[in-house]
This record gives sequence, structure tokens and C-alpha cells, in this order.
Amino acid sequence: MAITAELTLTSAAGDLTTDALALSTSTSLTKAGLSTAISQTAGLARKTTESTSQYTLFDGDAYSDGAHKIYLKNTESTAGLYFVIEINSEQMGKLYAGDWAFFPWEANADTNDIKITPSTSASHTLEYMLFYE
Amino acid sequence: MATTTAAITLTSTDLLTDALSLSATNTLYKAGTTVGLDQTTGMARAYLTATTVVDIFPQLIEGSIAFENKSSWVYICNKSEDETEYITVKICENEIGRLYAGDYLWMPWSMRESVNANNHHGDVTVAPSVATGMWLEWTCINEGTEYPTENLVTA
Repeated sequence: MAITAELTLTSAAGDLTTDALALSTSTSLTKAGLSTAISQTAGLARKTTESTSQYTLFDGDAYSDGAHKIYLKNTESTAGLYFVIEINSEQMGKLYAGDWAFFPWEANADTNDIKITPSTSASHTLEYMLFYE
Repeated sequence: MATTTAAITLTSTDLLTDALSLSATNTLYKAGTTVGLDQTTGMARAYLTATTVVDIFPQLIEGSIAFENKSSWVYICNKSEDETEYITVKICENEIGRLYAGDYLWMPWSMRESVNANNHHGDVTVAPSVATGMWLEWTCINEGTEYPTENLVTA
């Protein structure tokens, strides 16, 4: 079993910097400290919100410690619409329209929840996926 | 306008009954606009030989008014080839997760100070699991950079 996550960051010469940026890296998602592939997923999900309430995407209490990985994408196309991403009540960052993120999640505490807060009460859709062990 | 693109492809032929083939691409814009991000700390590459917690963006002032409502993106990659070696990544002293050998992250960063009343800055920090030496790479692509002012005090 194998799950591959490939990232590329690109910017033409003279754009972000004088030199071109062409970073490419790939990793296989494996269990903590092992070469065994992660074998479980919560599935690719979508959530559409219509209020500025905070929502819990993943509950830290529901998962054991591990080399979990989270993928998030704001599917909106209006530049000003964003989701605030929090982990254990600390703000990580904001996902604006079209933005995606991919990061590890240790779920090392019951409070280590991943939560989102939409920027407005207009319809906002987030796509998300958890790979876990 | 600076155009920087971040893309990810997640694939698996055997995780599920159906094949997984998910791709996403976005252009890095300043917050709430379609103007490209035009500043970066540059790509850093370091060989860390202690398990000490390291602030990987000391040149940026977290919690600064200059960053309020600004957009910043962080890339960190553990270049180790030993599957047991990892780095612990934290924000505001709070653990996000561990990057094992070859793993990377790509995340937005608000640079907000901690809300847990402990006066921690919004630092992104890493701590290697071993002191035998680990290669790491990281960069931040951002807007609204504010640098610390000169401080020549030695004590």
C-alpha cells in the first residue's frame, strides 16, 4: 500500500526573485517511525458553511498519536472569502479562495482539535481529507 | 506581479477500492486580493545537531501589526533518510505534528500571538528528534515583512 504526496513550488525567474523557483518534493505517507504506509483515511469530504460559527473538522480526542496528515482546500473563487484554521485554539493561518494546505497532525492531546471559522456567513465550501494510522 | 504557484498531487492506487488521484494548484496572493505575494525569506537549508527547539524565522516579528491580516506561507521539509528520525513542528508552542524522514508541510501562517495567555509569540519552531544531525529545508513566502530592529546588547 502506498500514498504519495507530491508538492511543487514554482515561480519564473525575475518574478518572486531574480532566480527561478522550481521546487519539487515527494513523500510517501508512512506510519510514525516506520516504512509501513498509512492505511486509513477519513475520506475526501466537503463542508459548506453558512454562518461564521466555528466548526470542528477533526477532534484530537478521537485519534491516537501518529503521523497523520491533513489536506485542506478552500474551494471558493471570491478572493476575500477565507477560513481561519486553528489547532488547539491557536490560529495557524487563513485559507483564502483557492488555497490549499497539507500538514502533519500529531493529535497528541484531546484538545488538539482542528477547527475552522468561515470569514462570512455567505456560503463557503472547504474540501478536506485526513490520512491517519 | 510576482506569480508563485503551489501545487500538490495526492495519489494512491491501493488505499481505497477506487484510485486516489487528487490535485490542487493555487497562486499565492496577498490576503483577499489577486495580487501575488512578492516577498520571501529565501530557502534555508540547515544541518541541526541538537534537539533544541529552533525558531526558524527569527527575522520575522510574529504578532507584529505589520502582519495583521496578511498572508504568509510556510514550507518545511525533513530531508533525513532515516525513517525513525523526525522533527516536531510547533506553532505558538503548540504541537502541530511530526515530520518524519522525507515528509514536508505547506501551511498558511497568521503569525498571531498565542491566545493561551502564555505570551508566546506565533513562532513556527522545529525540534529534531535526535542530536546526530538532521538536514532540514524551509522557506516562508509572505507579504508585509517587518524585521527586528538592531540590538547590539550582549548581556
